[in-house]
Amino acid sequence: MSTEQFGVTDHIEVAVADEVPDTADGNGADGGRSASTGTGVAEHRRGPIALATRRLLRNPLALVALGFLFAVIVVGVLAPLIAPYDPNEQLTGPPFLGPFSDGHLLGTDDLGRDIFSRILYGARLSILVSTATVAIALIIAVPIGLSAGYHGGRIEYGIMRVTDAMMSFPGLVLAISLVAVLGPSLKNTMIAIAVVLIPGFTRLVRGQALAIREESFIEASKSIGSPTKRIIFRRVFPNLLSPLVVQVSIALGIVLLAEASLSFLGLGARPPEISWGAMLRQASEVILVHPGQMYAPGLAIALTVLAFNTLGDGILDALTGGSGARGRRGRRRGLTFVERKMAPETSVAAPVDDAVSNLEPAPIERHESEAAPSPMTMVTLERNGEAARAAAELPPTDALLAVDGLTVQFSTARGWATVVDNVSFQIRKGETLGLVGESGSGKTVTSLSVMRLLPSPPSRITAGSVRFDGRDLLTLPIREMTKLRGSRIAMVFQDPMSSLNPALTIQHQIGQVVRWHDGGGKKHAATRANEVLEMVGIPKRRATSYPHELSGGQRQRAMIAMALVCRPSLLIADEPTTALDVTIQAQVLELMHELRKELEMAILFVTHDLGVVADICDRVAVMYAGQIVETAPVRELFHHPKHPYTEGLLRAMPQKAEPRSELYVIPGQVPQFHEFGTGCRLAPRCEYAQDRCRTTPIRLERVDPVHLARCIRWDELDLEAKI
Amino acid sequence: MIGLVVRRLAAMIPLLLFVSFVVFSLITLVPGDPATTLAGGTDADFADIEAIREEMNLNDPFLVQYAKWLGGAVQGDFGESLLSGRPVYGEVKRAIPPTLGLVAATLILVIPVGLLLGLISGLRPGSVRDKSVLTFTSAGIAMPSFWVALLLVSFFAVRLKWLPPFGYEPFVDSPTEWAKRMIMPAIALSASAIAVVSRQLRGGLADVMTAPYIRTAWAKGGSGHQVIAGHALKNAAMPAVTVLGLQTAVLLGGSIIIEQIFTIPGLGTYLLRAINQQDLPSIQAVALLYVVINVMINLIVDIAYGFLNPKVRAA
Repeated sequence: MSTEQFGVTDHIEVAVADEVPDTADGNGADGGRSASTGTGVAEHRRGPIALATRRLLRNPLALVALGFLFAVIVVGVLAPLIAPYDPNEQLTGPPFLGPFSDGHLLGTDDLGRDIFSRILYGARLSILVSTATVAIALIIAVPIGLSAGYHGGRIEYGIMRVTDAMMSFPGLVLAISLVAVLGPSLKNTMIAIAVVLIPGFTRLVRGQALAIREESFIEASKSIGSPTKRIIFRRVFPNLLSPLVVQVSIALGIVLLAEASLSFLGLGARPPEISWGAMLRQASEVILVHPGQMYAPGLAIALTVLAFNTLGDGILDALTGGSGARGRRGRRRGLTFVERKMAPETSVAAPVDDAVSNLEPAPIERHESEAAPSPMTMVTLERNGEAARAAAELPPTDALLAVDGLTVQFSTARGWATVVDNVSFQIRKGETLGLVGESGSGKTVTSLSVMRLLPSPPSRITAGSVRFDGRDLLTLPIREMTKLRGSRIAMVFQDPMSSLNPALTIQHQIGQVVRWHDGGGKKHAATRANEVLEMVGIPKRRATSYPHELSGGQRQRAMIAMALVCRPSLLIADEPTTALDVTIQAQVLELMHELRKELEMAILFVTHDLGVVADICDRVAVMYAGQIVETAPVRELFHHPKHPYTEGLLRAMPQKAEPRSELYVIPGQVPQFHEFGTGCRLAPRCEYAQDRCRTTPIRLERVDPVHLARCIRWDELDLEAKI
Repeated sequence: MIGLVVRRLAAMIPLLLFVSFVVFSLITLVPGDPATTLAGGTDADFADIEAIREEMNLNDPFLVQYAKWLGGAVQGDFGESLLSGRPVYGEVKRAIPPTLGLVAATLILVIPVGLLLGLISGLRPGSVRDKSVLTFTSAGIAMPSFWVALLLVSFFAVRLKWLPPFGYEPFVDSPTEWAKRMIMPAIALSASAIAVVSRQLRGGLADVMTAPYIRTAWAKGGSGHQVIAGHALKNAAMPAVTVLGLQTAVLLGGSIIIEQIFTIPGLGTYLLRAINQQDLPSIQAVALLYVVINVMINLIVDIAYGFLNPKVRAA
């Protein structure tokens, strides 16, 4: 926020109502979002104003500004009592005394008047002029803005066009011209500055009134027959206050600057009125001989304006819960932090347990003897991972990607939340693994962790390994990581509209991948881009389109083309079809089918849609509340589920529903991270749950060599009946 | 692109009509009978008053007065100066190049320095260098430009004697002398605009760096440099460019005072002289010129914005 135009900013988004602590800024990670509720709820009960006040009082900068302004007001009011001299008394000492002279703290001016006394009286005038001018502007602008925003229609249109035109005047030029014809005087200066402020205030008030008009409680008031006037003053006005307070604080600074400018030009305050701007005018006349004259008044103006601006910023921060930049401190760009020396805090099962490969697993007993101690170090963990693989006697070349005991945490208002807990899975060359679960289950976080694309902060990887082609990606420096990304491992994101850069053509964006990895000129990159675009069915003439010029399906195809242009061996697709309608979905899936065969790539397919899984996947891993709860080949999982959650997901598939029957819904919601108990995380929603489910940690158990389930009752339940 | 320019030009016409009407209406604010006041008050010679009444068409209905004035204005005829009796336009014309030169010199400083500072602070929010830039920009916004000018003069001209304290030399006569005399005015005028532009770019970068398409750029294997230069900068610059347009209005206002301090014979100096002499036709002409210059600079900014944002170009 700043004194941008000689006026006021149009929109301020004050989100008091849906306050979110800025610790975890989600960033598309479905875990982060749910992690960030929490304290907000508790703070709400105290009311938004009390909350904002408390935040403001915790902001040292804003407090200093507030204190300074308070001092300026006190000094202004008490000037006659505390000023050592009459400010207009001449020859209180020799003229042009320097600062810190005897009896004259800031020296004397050309007429031998005491500068310190004049500064004190100047404070009086500055505060008076600023508050009065802003008050005049508000008295006129608020009713106009309210009626424009509240009534809409032609009145609004007319008012908005006039304010637009008024704002095309350079503010100071308008003020000066007005004072010029009205005649130079302090009163006319105030009127002129108020006129300049009015359009900005009007727009702000109108914007807020417009937003509030659409809210339901106003509708409700109207429907119970409250008169318009009463609605405006009882309902709309209170909501307007907070953004207005911010702008008023900044406008006070603007007025102070403008008054100083006009007085400096000799159009505002004139003797015997004492204004800091007018003092600077006198100082400027003798600058070549007595340059010291201008320090005090200039500093007084600058500090007061600075205080108004700082206070305005502070109030805005307090109302919105902090500026966007805060809380991103020390962000390491483009690479998730790995701090594997920590043990996962909420980890329940012993990590080695889950590190077991589910392809050719070794007997479980063998690993229980080596249960990892806590806290474990990075080295221990590495060895555990190696041990697990050795025990599985799996040729290392067989698994292209081996995720072992991956644990990811997010910083929240309640401390570190474990969003992905000890997740292990493997993908072979050419194989497609589906990662399934409701939103909030941690599947997106898992998929982003593989490429270390989660932003740090708020996220960090605290345990596990991600082996790709035998190398642990979690130990790679960013330079090595960027070599793999886009060329060996590629990713397709959920929402192609926001995931493509709106300012660049798709050809350029695809060509970048070629240029970054294979080098070669722009021409070569463009040719390659056109080739892959053709491969995904986008004709050459569309290659130079911008994302907004393409349809949703075309955008997702372009996204896929971008991922495939360097022929990666692993493709991570995060809900690639979710944002698309059904026919386009089918086309995209068909495309992925073909390309997988052609390029022999492995795919990690993240989705909540089991129908899609049945179409494209070889194996499935089901995630719930940050853990893998079941994993099996796709047919096995669909026909013989061993976990109640999988059963629920299968029952909830719309494809399976009988016509006219009610669609099954799993009762309840995915729990928040702080709600996890020691036992089964599904227990509160599970119809088969028993007491022992809630108290004992549940391990991933082996149903058969290729099928694991995290349920202690898997062998006694018959889950096939209901699907 | 040409479509964009044509549309923007067309949109300017009603705006300029309205603004010119406001400028012309200034006459209604003149206290008392305009002709009498402008002639120098009630002591003025009756013949002078009538001459002014005749010259400014004050006997006509208001809208007719406006139409006549506007008709002249579009042809460069703003009437005659009440003081010198010479055509206003001939005198105003000479005041345009110094002002445009000052604004241009200021923008030449604002754009690279503002963007550079924004980049320095925006790439590492919360770092020491970010905080230093923020402190600097807070000061830049709070300090009145004329105080900065006085500080510069007292230091570089009075104490160090590196630069002449004031004066003006036309660019066409001697570019180096022009530059010497423009350095201090341009720095004084640019401080707050630099601050605003850099803060806007910082905010833009902070927003853009969390955008999904930046994650895509990382996923494509971009290095930090490639992601920022290839993806973040262009999008982060958009709000900074918008703000630059708004800042030209502030610059034009500030230039009036800066011209006064450095005795640059530009529009501001001309305007203040006209004000002192109650020369209404001149005041109107200069006010309108300021608006036209502001609108023109904003048109250029809009076109630059079109280069950054393909959606604007197409829409």
